[in-house]
Amino acid sequence: MAVSTAPPSTTRGQGGPSTRSAALSRTRRRPDDTKLALLFVLPAAIGLVAFYFWPLLRGIWLSFTSWDLLSPAEFVGLDNYRQLISDPVFWNAARVTVYYVVLNIGAQTVIALGIAVLMQRLTSSSVLRGIVLAPFLVSNVVAALVFLWILDFQLGIGNQLLEWLGLDRIGFFTTETWVVPTIAAVNVWRHMGYTALLLFAGLMAIPANYYEAARVDGASEWRMFRSITMPLLRPVLGIVLIISVIGSFQVFDTVSVTTGGGPVDASRMLQVYIYDKAFAQFDFGYASALSVAMLVILVVVTFFQYRLTRAGQSDLN
Amino acid sequence: MSDVQASATLPVAADRADDDRASGRSPGTGSGGTGRDRQARPRRPIRWGKVLAWAVMGVVLLVTIFPFYWILRTALSSNGALYANATSLLPVDPTWNGFARVFGAQSVEDAIADGGSGAKLDFWRYLGNSVIVATTVTVFQVFFSAMAAYAFSRLRWKGRDLVFGAFLLSLMVPVIFTLLPNFLLVKQLGLIDDLFGIMLPSLFMTPFAIFFLRQFFLNVPKEVEEAALVDGASKIAIFFKLVIPMSTAPIATVSILTYMTQWNDYFWPLMVSYTDDSRVLTVALGAFRAQSPSGGPDWSGLMAATLVAALPMIVLFSIFAKRIVANIGFNGIK
Amino acid sequence: MPATRTPSSRTRRARPRPRLRTLLAGVTTAVSVVALGGCSAAGLPGADGRVAVDYWLWESLQLPGYQKCADAFEAQNDDIEIRITQYGWADYWQKLTAGLVAGAGPDVFTDHLTKYPEFVNRGVILPLDDFEATADLDPADYQEGLAELWTGQDGKQYGSPKDFDTIALFYDEDVLAEAGYAPEDLQDLTWDPETGGTFEDVIAHLSVDAAGVRGDEPGFDPTNVVTYGLGSNGAGDTNGQTQWSWLAGGTGWELTNAPVWGDEYHYDDPRFQASIAWLFGLVEKGYFPSFERVGTAPNLTQQLGSGQAALVADGSWTISSYLRLEGVDLGITSVPTGPIGQPVSMYNGLGDSISAQTSVPEESARWVEFLGGSECQTIVGEEGVIFPARPEGTEAAIAAFAEKGVDVEPFTDLVDDGGTVLYPVTDNAAEILSIMKPVMDAIYIGSRPVDSLTQANEQVNSLFE
Repeated sequence: MAVSTAPPSTTRGQGGPSTRSAALSRTRRRPDDTKLALLFVLPAAIGLVAFYFWPLLRGIWLSFTSWDLLSPAEFVGLDNYRQLISDPVFWNAARVTVYYVVLNIGAQTVIALGIAVLMQRLTSSSVLRGIVLAPFLVSNVVAALVFLWILDFQLGIGNQLLEWLGLDRIGFFTTETWVVPTIAAVNVWRHMGYTALLLFAGLMAIPANYYEAARVDGASEWRMFRSITMPLLRPVLGIVLIISVIGSFQVFDTVSVTTGGGPVDASRMLQVYIYDKAFAQFDFGYASALSVAMLVILVVVTFFQYRLTRAGQSDLN
Repeated sequence: MSDVQASATLPVAADRADDDRASGRSPGTGSGGTGRDRQARPRRPIRWGKVLAWAVMGVVLLVTIFPFYWILRTALSSNGALYANATSLLPVDPTWNGFARVFGAQSVEDAIADGGSGAKLDFWRYLGNSVIVATTVTVFQVFFSAMAAYAFSRLRWKGRDLVFGAFLLSLMVPVIFTLLPNFLLVKQLGLIDDLFGIMLPSLFMTPFAIFFLRQFFLNVPKEVEEAALVDGASKIAIFFKLVIPMSTAPIATVSILTYMTQWNDYFWPLMVSYTDDSRVLTVALGAFRAQSPSGGPDWSGLMAATLVAALPMIVLFSIFAKRIVANIGFNGIK
Repeated sequence: MPATRTPSSRTRRARPRPRLRTLLAGVTTAVSVVALGGCSAAGLPGADGRVAVDYWLWESLQLPGYQKCADAFEAQNDDIEIRITQYGWADYWQKLTAGLVAGAGPDVFTDHLTKYPEFVNRGVILPLDDFEATADLDPADYQEGLAELWTGQDGKQYGSPKDFDTIALFYDEDVLAEAGYAPEDLQDLTWDPETGGTFEDVIAHLSVDAAGVRGDEPGFDPTNVVTYGLGSNGAGDTNGQTQWSWLAGGTGWELTNAPVWGDEYHYDDPRFQASIAWLFGLVEKGYFPSFERVGTAPNLTQQLGSGQAALVADGSWTISSYLRLEGVDLGITSVPTGPIGQPVSMYNGLGDSISAQTSVPEESARWVEFLGGSECQTIVGEEGVIFPARPEGTEAAIAAFAEKGVDVEPFTDLVDDGGTVLYPVTDNAAEILSIMKPVMDAIYIGSRPVDSLTQANEQVNSLFE
């Protein structure tokens, strides 16, 4: 499982003098790298505490206050949370967001995995890799604007295509049934290459001799994919999934530029609602409570994901 | 794993995989792009699998490229004629004015007449600022993240999992929590309107890079590390001389993606910059978006700006892509 | 044995490392240079000892005009430097709010009626009465009602009137000609919520379906329309400035119980509901695009320019966008006359406010005085982009627009004739928006009946208790 659980017996390297590492100076005990680890983790930890933890604590504190950004915050105890529980817009937002995440990540992962496998097996051309990654070069906002136009009911080439094919035009961003899948599709377009590249790096770490051995044994491609690729890709896939889900939950730019939460709350995702409360309505205390709620959801989801995918372990070692 | 020889023959194995593909037997080919529908008929001699795979790849490329074509076509059109010919596949009333506006080469009156904003753009300066910010952040962020990833993957210490969990938690911190405190901190440090102020929150690490690299560092074979330890290398030396070189591909991947993310970052640099001194390209390109409540964007300028902003990244990628290719398949032994 | 080969055979692959180190060193140096070098944080004194006043605005088209104003001001006041920054509407308020929270905001900024009540309540902007330069601001200098819009509940002046805008109908003369209309046929249209008046007749005739049948001819297919008689700018949320303020207002309906600072909304008024029912009822008749077509980000210029709509009701701040449309022979006419006997439009006006965090209040006030003064307003008017608040500025703008070939009197006549209703200035604007927008959208889509506005009205009014 974890890497440095080398059983003491193979570490017959009690050998040479180590310059700094505590590990070698102790010959029979398990290596303890605490001092070194602290050194290595220190810069990242500074960033963590200063720019993530401190704001997090402050944000949690604010969720118990009423604050309008421009005058001092007043403590109100659990009022914000009581309001949250009975807030239909919040529950709608939570539901819509979960629906969106499922669609988005589901499609994105499958497509990205497919692309990664194709990149690994078909061709290692870096031109192709570059093209596939290209959508990530376009900012969120611009991508949303471009698709807003391409999928416009009347003027969009997308609907024009539908008409040529003899189908009805679809209000992609303007009907309640289509709006969330459309926003999910826009984000899939933008992120599939990025995700594919990450998975590709993971695929590359799988030694080819496994495949060779399996082929010698007469396994089919599907069997190899299932028994070799997937298990060995699991740690990378797991972490990519976790990060994608977390990012997907916090979708904002795409929605804000295309629908602003409409039509009629059908695309009012959590982050959109939070921003509106925080910066437009100057109700930062309540927005903080909403954010804490979102955080809790994310923690729970991530926890289960981490367990299910056993992303903390590697099968290669 | 006593696969020393096997991995040494890896590039050859890839070629052999090519031959295998020809007979439709390479792994994964049959999985297609949109799902793992089985094409698993290993004995079918026709390259069905390969044909299908290329077809799927073709569709993916088409879907990926078409919006870019649309962006290019709109960038070369003039704003006034766009609405009248909204679905035309060719640029309408072709003109270079969109690009001229991006580079600040069009006079204010002409720009306004064309539908652009009257803002003056100091393009090269913004480009330079973007390069400085993205490069600096990428270098430091990836380096520090790699260090932390090493500590989480290859070092043993008390509380390792707890601290790792803390980093995982940081990934979920809501954006509105970090925005104002970071801004206040930057102001207190006197770094408003300074490139360093823009860089500061991202300089130390990003949780994503830590996790991603940790997964790869986990895969570095224990035997190699132990062999190095036997030889008297310190853990620090192992980090620099063993783990990092063996992980060039994931590090390069993470670096490129970090660079792109920093390059396209909009909101934070917008907050921190007040004058051209610290304005980066993406913020400057905000000049092409809708300037008034119900106005539309300067379409041709915006599309031209998108292409121009993406260009340096394409250049960067094409330089580094070769490095990735040269190192693919390396799984660490020798 | 692998171990011996480990470090040395790394040479080829170890090459990235030293390069990285050099790169690191170079970057660190560069960063330090940059960090120490550039440092002109907002609020620092301006160049050569002058006091710097930071002014923010969002309308990029007005930037050249205000730059000229700044140059003129600096020539007359050589102890002050004006630094103008423009942020697009999408970023403006967030940047302003973040700046105010961190104490890094502007000294003077362009303010909007939907935001300024919140700012007043929180003490974010200063009353102009407190400063010598602006204490004697005379409402009579400006078009009627504009100064009143910017007067707080305490009677003090919180914004200096900057400009005003009204609504009128835009059309393409070629499209009219095809329908057999001359521009005169669009003048003096009448309207009422029950029959639609001559306005609906015109809209019907201008609507064309895919088979070329017009809306008032037999065989018109409302489900397959190519050109709509009236364009849609969405459902209109709280005040329907471009969408329905000129219709409902024409029935004598008033949005709130006082011209400014009302605390009761009247969405339950039958005249309002009848107007909304008429407007959205046009969808079924095929004269008005459905929500599905225009969505939550409608674009009237696009509709007129692409021929999707024959008439659009839009604000005077968009004239430049329409002028730019190729292939469109632009014409402007007044909104129709409702039951009260004269055309009515919503009347909005921007203002310049002084931030409470400014370190140079007196100088800021002098700049605000200049902005609201005759000289600057005439300069801005001559740019031909918007209508300045002072009558002489408005005249300059009318002349500038005439030079561009467009007659803007349908906009300005409304002000002269008193056919205006003030833009609503009340507390809780943002909450009201979040209540009304989904309701109005739902009514437009048809998933909710028009009388659900009564319930929404109760919700809105409960905010004021």
